[in-house]
Amino acid sequence: MLEFLTQSPHFYDYVTLGVLFLGVFNVGEILFLLYNKAKVERSELKRGNLKRLAATALITATDPAELLPPPVAEDEFAAYSEAIASVLDSFEGEVAVKAAKLLTDLGIDGHYRRLARHRTWYKRGNAIDILSSFRLRANREFFLAVFRSEPSTDVKYRILYGLSRLTRDHAEIRELAELLSTLPYLTAKYTEDIFFNIISALKANGREEEFGLFLKEALDDKKVLNLVKRDCLTACHAASCEKGRSVLKKYYEAHEEEPEIQIAAVRALAKMGDFVLIPPALRHADWRVRLTALKYADLCCTDLLPEIRCLLRDNSYHVRLAAAMTMARAGGAARAALTEEAASQDKFAAAAAAYALTQGAA
Amino acid sequence: MKLFLLWMAVHASQYVVFLYFLVVNTTYTLLIFLALRDIVRHAYLTTSRVARRQLASEHYFKPVTVIVPAHNEAAVITQSVQALLNLHYPEYEVIVVNDGSTDGTLARLKEDFKLVSSIKPVRLQVPHEDIQAVYRSADYANLIVIDKLNGGKADAINAGINVSSYPIFCSIDADSLLEPDALLKSSKLFLEDDELIATGGIIRILNGCTVKDGAVTEIGLPRTTLEAMQVLEYTRAFLSGRTGWNALKSLLIISGAFGVFRKDIVVAVNGYRKTVGEDMDLVMRLHRHCRDNKIPYKILFVPDPVCWTQAPYSLGMLLKQRNRWHRGMIDALLVNRSMILNPKYGATSLIGISYFIFVEFLGPLIELFGYVSIPILYYFDMLNTQFLVMLVLLAVFWGISINIGAVFLDIYNFRRYKKTSDILRLCVMSAVEFFGYRQLMLLERLLATLTFRRKDWGTQDRQVFENKPTTP
Repeated sequence: MLEFLTQSPHFYDYVTLGVLFLGVFNVGEILFLLYNKAKVERSELKRGNLKRLAATALITATDPAELLPPPVAEDEFAAYSEAIASVLDSFEGEVAVKAAKLLTDLGIDGHYRRLARHRTWYKRGNAIDILSSFRLRANREFFLAVFRSEPSTDVKYRILYGLSRLTRDHAEIRELAELLSTLPYLTAKYTEDIFFNIISALKANGREEEFGLFLKEALDDKKVLNLVKRDCLTACHAASCEKGRSVLKKYYEAHEEEPEIQIAAVRALAKMGDFVLIPPALRHADWRVRLTALKYADLCCTDLLPEIRCLLRDNSYHVRLAAAMTMARAGGAARAALTEEAASQDKFAAAAAAYALTQGAA
Repeated sequence: MKLFLLWMAVHASQYVVFLYFLVVNTTYTLLIFLALRDIVRHAYLTTSRVARRQLASEHYFKPVTVIVPAHNEAAVITQSVQALLNLHYPEYEVIVVNDGSTDGTLARLKEDFKLVSSIKPVRLQVPHEDIQAVYRSADYANLIVIDKLNGGKADAINAGINVSSYPIFCSIDADSLLEPDALLKSSKLFLEDDELIATGGIIRILNGCTVKDGAVTEIGLPRTTLEAMQVLEYTRAFLSGRTGWNALKSLLIISGAFGVFRKDIVVAVNGYRKTVGEDMDLVMRLHRHCRDNKIPYKILFVPDPVCWTQAPYSLGMLLKQRNRWHRGMIDALLVNRSMILNPKYGATSLIGISYFIFVEFLGPLIELFGYVSIPILYYFDMLNTQFLVMLVLLAVFWGISINIGAVFLDIYNFRRYKKTSDILRLCVMSAVEFFGYRQLMLLERLLATLTFRRKDWGTQDRQVFENKPTTP
């Protein structure tokens, strides 16, 4: 049986060795598991205590660095950085200044700056994430320097995320947008997130108008991708950036061929209570734009009823249904018209109308 | 002459069995190493602050439809739906599809959730049996119930897809419970990557855990060996298997118990196909569709979002379930046979499908051949007893290493089972599996291979979730 193997003089010695090795390996694995379990439980306890201690010291002590033992192990750095980031998120003024100073005093900032140059990409990414959570203006130059030398695009996206939280004026927004354009487009939500952070940072510094300036500059800028423009407008919607309002209509008019930008413009303006784009959007050739407009149509213009009623016969299933729902929400004459439509000969219009009426009842 | 041929066959079989043993164990070992690398990286990145903040942000999500196909699930449906209505997610709808139940599932839903009739026009995008009625809950605006003629699980999910309003849907079994943040964790991936078309989380065994108000409050191993063995199997299949296949970009199964999909792409492949292995079949067709049409895509398994499911607690139920899974796999491979060893489909075909053919499909036959050849070799006086003993020892010890490796991945990274006794018991199960359990499963898989044309699901008994530990 398998002579060529078994006739080898040391065959059975090797197999026995293999079996013994696997046996020892198995026992070793179990022992390591139990040891690791105990170690992790101890570490969790320590982390919890350190976090509480750091938070208390930051709020109560004049110089918290004197009270806190300097971090040595990785879990101690993690515990302090979590506590400090949480304080920086929740407090302003003296406590926030103390928290930022503590990062330098305990060498936490320096530790993560060193880790941001680690040879493993995900450890660098994690360090960048932690540095981002501190939102220290002093880290801006560091982020820019790391960005230039960083080989991994995954980490670069994280660096830009960190930078977006430190933005102060429209020149910095432009710089960030340019850096963003050096990377492959990631996702809509990522870009939106970047601009949402920018708007939030500007708002926190009372400089929201800087974003309005950037939007104006970007309108005709061919270097800024249309996808990025769309995400900018979506961020305006999410962050309610009032200062961008004046330029949003121009985006709608300048991008006839880009329904997604127009949708973002309609949504952002409608959220700010400005419904000037709803009537043209209801007549738009693209069903997605019509659908977006219908979501806000009941809030603005009662004289749009005939147009909305026409949309009950639209080619798109979604538009028909949305038109019916809009009429149901609008109430009054619109609802009466909807009741008439429920008995209509047009099967599609009748079905949508009947559904919208029962929705109201439910 | 006949005797000579038999002798030759037996002789050749030794090499086949030996080679099979080496290939299978090496593959499993490699998968564990790949999984370890993947899980550590995933753990690093998802526990980072930005990830957590994004998870909590109310601005960043895509609305999701949760589809729950239910056929005779009266015992568990209320708790299951209640748990789904308590998920942490900004915008989602739950669609329960009553697939021709005869045990009062619909009546239970009507009573517990105050259902009122709705006449929502339904767009027929994927085929399914007739819908008899659509209901909406008067208490929960995001709960819809569809009552349709019986057509099977795939058919029921297709009906849910047609009624759904959102671009992403999650299919979940009625006897499963999602952790409150499971939907957030899995759908977040669709925001991070526009190429993602499907993802699935880990399925864990509910038996032995304590459930309160539709949520798992205490995690423990089930009392019986049969159920505890399944915990080990699931841990190995998901943490070392699927995570490893993920790393090789060859993932072929997103579990039917919990999968999240982009609706447009599922509609493009005409939805689920009526078969007992609808989950594997769908994923294979998604691979095929995207490759054929040169659509950049990703199908990912993530070990983080957790779905708890009831495992069979009797041997009969377990064998029935495994038989069905094996038949489903064979059917999916047959229907998608154009992908077999076809370089056009890249690693998915050359690595993933090849593994399923040679290990999962042919494996039971080869293993049985190995067992049968022992007495034959003995009869012909060709049995080298020393070699046999060493081979069995090596196989068992290597197998135990692979099992403990999977337990290691789980306990080291996720620490769900915290009691030392549970960890040690899982390690003991790693060895026990080779003495009886494995052979039983082998026989059932062989039986399934012989009867793969059968399309029936069989019935599974359900237990009420609340106030478990669940073993009866």
